[in-house]
Amino acid sequence: MLEILIFGAVTSAIYAMLAVGFTLIFGVARILNLAHGSFYALGAYGAYVLTTIFKVPLIVAAPLVVVGVALFGMVVERVLIRPMRKSQLAVLMISLAISLVVEQALFLTFGSEYRNVPSFIDQKYVIGGVDVAGQRLLTLLVSVVSISGLYLFIQKTRLGSAILAISQDPEAAQYMGIPSDRIFGVVMAMSAGLAALAGIMAGPFLSVQPSMHLLPIVKAFAIVVVGGLGSIPGSIVAALMLGYAETLVAYGISTSWTEIVSVAATLLMLVLSPAGFFGKRAAF
Amino acid sequence: MQLKNLDRGGALVALTLMAVLPLVFDSKYLMGVLTVAAIYGIWSVSWDFMSGLTGRENFGHSLFIGVGAYAAGFLNTTWGANAWWGLPAGMLAAVVFALIMGIPTLRLKGPYFALAMLSGAVIMQRLMLIFWKFTGGEEGINGIEPLIRSPLYFYWFVLGMLVFTAALLGGLARSRWGLILKAIRGDEATCQAAGLNVTYYKIASLVISAAFAGMGGALYAHYQLQVSPQLFAVVTSITIITMVYVGGMSTIYGAIGGALLLTLMTEMLRDFGEWRLMIYSVALILILFFLPQGLVAPTWKKIRRLLARGRS
Amino acid sequence: MSLLSVRNLDKRFGGLHAVKDVSLEVHQGDILGILGPNGAGKTTLYNLLTGFIKPDNGQVILNGQSLLGIPSHKVVGLGIARTFQLCRPFVGLTVLENVMVGSLGPRVPKVDLEKRAHKLLEQVGLTGKAETLSELLSYGDQRRLEIARALATEPRLLLLDEPFAGLGSGEIAALSTLIRDLHREQGLTIMLIEHKLREFMQLVSKVVAIDFGQVIGTGSPQDIVKNPKVIEAYIGKQDADYAA
Repeated sequence: MLEILIFGAVTSAIYAMLAVGFTLIFGVARILNLAHGSFYALGAYGAYVLTTIFKVPLIVAAPLVVVGVALFGMVVERVLIRPMRKSQLAVLMISLAISLVVEQALFLTFGSEYRNVPSFIDQKYVIGGVDVAGQRLLTLLVSVVSISGLYLFIQKTRLGSAILAISQDPEAAQYMGIPSDRIFGVVMAMSAGLAALAGIMAGPFLSVQPSMHLLPIVKAFAIVVVGGLGSIPGSIVAALMLGYAETLVAYGISTSWTEIVSVAATLLMLVLSPAGFFGKRAAF
Repeated sequence: MQLKNLDRGGALVALTLMAVLPLVFDSKYLMGVLTVAAIYGIWSVSWDFMSGLTGRENFGHSLFIGVGAYAAGFLNTTWGANAWWGLPAGMLAAVVFALIMGIPTLRLKGPYFALAMLSGAVIMQRLMLIFWKFTGGEEGINGIEPLIRSPLYFYWFVLGMLVFTAALLGGLARSRWGLILKAIRGDEATCQAAGLNVTYYKIASLVISAAFAGMGGALYAHYQLQVSPQLFAVVTSITIITMVYVGGMSTIYGAIGGALLLTLMTEMLRDFGEWRLMIYSVALILILFFLPQGLVAPTWKKIRRLLARGRS
Repeated sequence: MSLLSVRNLDKRFGGLHAVKDVSLEVHQGDILGILGPNGAGKTTLYNLLTGFIKPDNGQVILNGQSLLGIPSHKVVGLGIARTFQLCRPFVGLTVLENVMVGSLGPRVPKVDLEKRAHKLLEQVGLTGKAETLSELLSYGDQRRLEIARALATEPRLLLLDEPFAGLGSGEIAALSTLIRDLHREQGLTIMLIEHKLREFMQLVSKVVAIDFGQVIGTGSPQDIVKNPKVIEAYIGKQDADYAA
């Protein structure tokens, strides 16, 4: 029971980091960015490359990778996604194509074997009789801190207010003199950086191989649809729901059913209530 | 009038070329490639009919392909039916799934419909693996009988089915059906206000699209002589969409050109081995950016204009 | 002879009582004007009449047949056609194709689609523009296209929703003539929502005034402008000009 509680929390924490970034960029730019999973993958691979090949200590590598992927996200948004913004479907296709290119690039460079990303904490802890890797606990902590930080940033800073304004009414925001385009780039960077951080933290105990971007993006989409597109609190709640649902399924039935949980949840939610629980923007 | 004749002439020339090519080169390999290209042609044309005309892009077309293939596979191996039953079975299976998926999802807006259909395909793929006792899991179903033993005659049969599909769907696209579907793309509510039952047309076009995709899937099963969950993969759906983009959306015949081009390109890139998918994905990005109208259809239209001018 | 009979039509949207116990009669050959300030519920009324939304209460009877529960595309098939406040051409289709789409309903006689579409374009004055992409038309032409498309369904009753909105005076005059011709030559029964009072008064034979979802007065155009409730709700200080 305690096992489920703890592991469910860790899983939810990772999903929350992915979903919040995904929903943020949607809320601001109305973009469903299917390349979001690639930022997650690049985070993990970046950590692997810097620590294993360049022998950079993890504590230095981590922020470097986060910043690097954030910049990559900005460039991708500027060069490839922004010109396509007139059509949501075009953006969908382009972002999907980008994710495939990244996957192939990773495959060609590193091959398809699983790679090792080092942990920040190697030791295991025992909580209430349950063995938990320190890294997992740290991931939980990092997730809570980073998401809270992001939330505070949006609520308290000027840039944050601008972001809120754009997500509520992009045109009105522009009339107010808010440089929407530049802000999209910033939001994309934040979203990518958060995803990369998730990859760095989760890399040690989740699989690191070129196609690792797919399932996370499916799950992020599931969470965001359930929680409501554009709603950060909604994403957090839905991430918890999905994380625990998966953990319960894994313990109760079998691990092979876990992917179906997220995909089926997406489907059901889309069909029954496309606005999700908290979202204002419906899929109709 | 003249344009129509040129179209027909062009189609005839293309068809003859495709039919005769393997004889000229006497290459089993080429015939195999062309057979696969033709099947992809059927899949692409069927996708274009619904998604190209209505603009409701379906990211889960592989679902219909997969269930068509598996239906044919089951029928032939587990139930020992004659291979020819696979074709109608594939169509029927696909139609059933089109109704199951389509009815609840067709009212969703563009990207959500696309992703809902994608989810359907992903779920199906997973289910094939989970119920491996019945479906053969990762290895799928093996030992399917070929429809026609002679590879050449089978190839000509597939070509014939391609022509049938293109003629039927192309004809529908040029009739009131096409007009209504394009109007739905323009403005659904107004279409309803003009007296048309939009829901019916959306579902019907998805069902028709699925039926032919399923038929293609059955053909594929009887060609590869095996089916695996890979058929449901996202890559299959994306490949088909790329083919239609290259060919020119909503033109129907363009999709065939796109299928041919991309299949041939894939084969020629075989030497690049692992770089294939990468080149594919980059090509897709380039096409989305620089050739939104596609390659095949605009080229043919230019040729046609030149020929028409040349005559007069 | 009553073509359309509306009795006690009622509709709420959450807390908003959009249409309140509305009753009216439209007779064959009428041009019935619907007058009322913005937000009075006029377009909602149209939506209720055409089956786009379902009323909470009340009856809509067309030629003796109840329209309740009939889906909107079938209502068109029974003879009611409407235009929208904001022109919505079928993007990507030519003007001719737009009209042809409208010609696919059950009331349309079985003649050549294209020929009939061309004739309709002639009627509304869009002949030269048949092959133009509909979204490229000027606003005034888009309005004509809306009307042509509505006429294509072979309606008995045509509901016009602010056809003059956004048009210049020349276009308004031309459109006004078109509407009058349609009424006179084809005996088409018309309902008209419009804010341009001068043209409105010249076109309509009867007026129903609506405010806050309720009918506040019915009568001839001359009577309506003198109706104190109407003046209070809508015309305000301008009544002096229009009563003249």
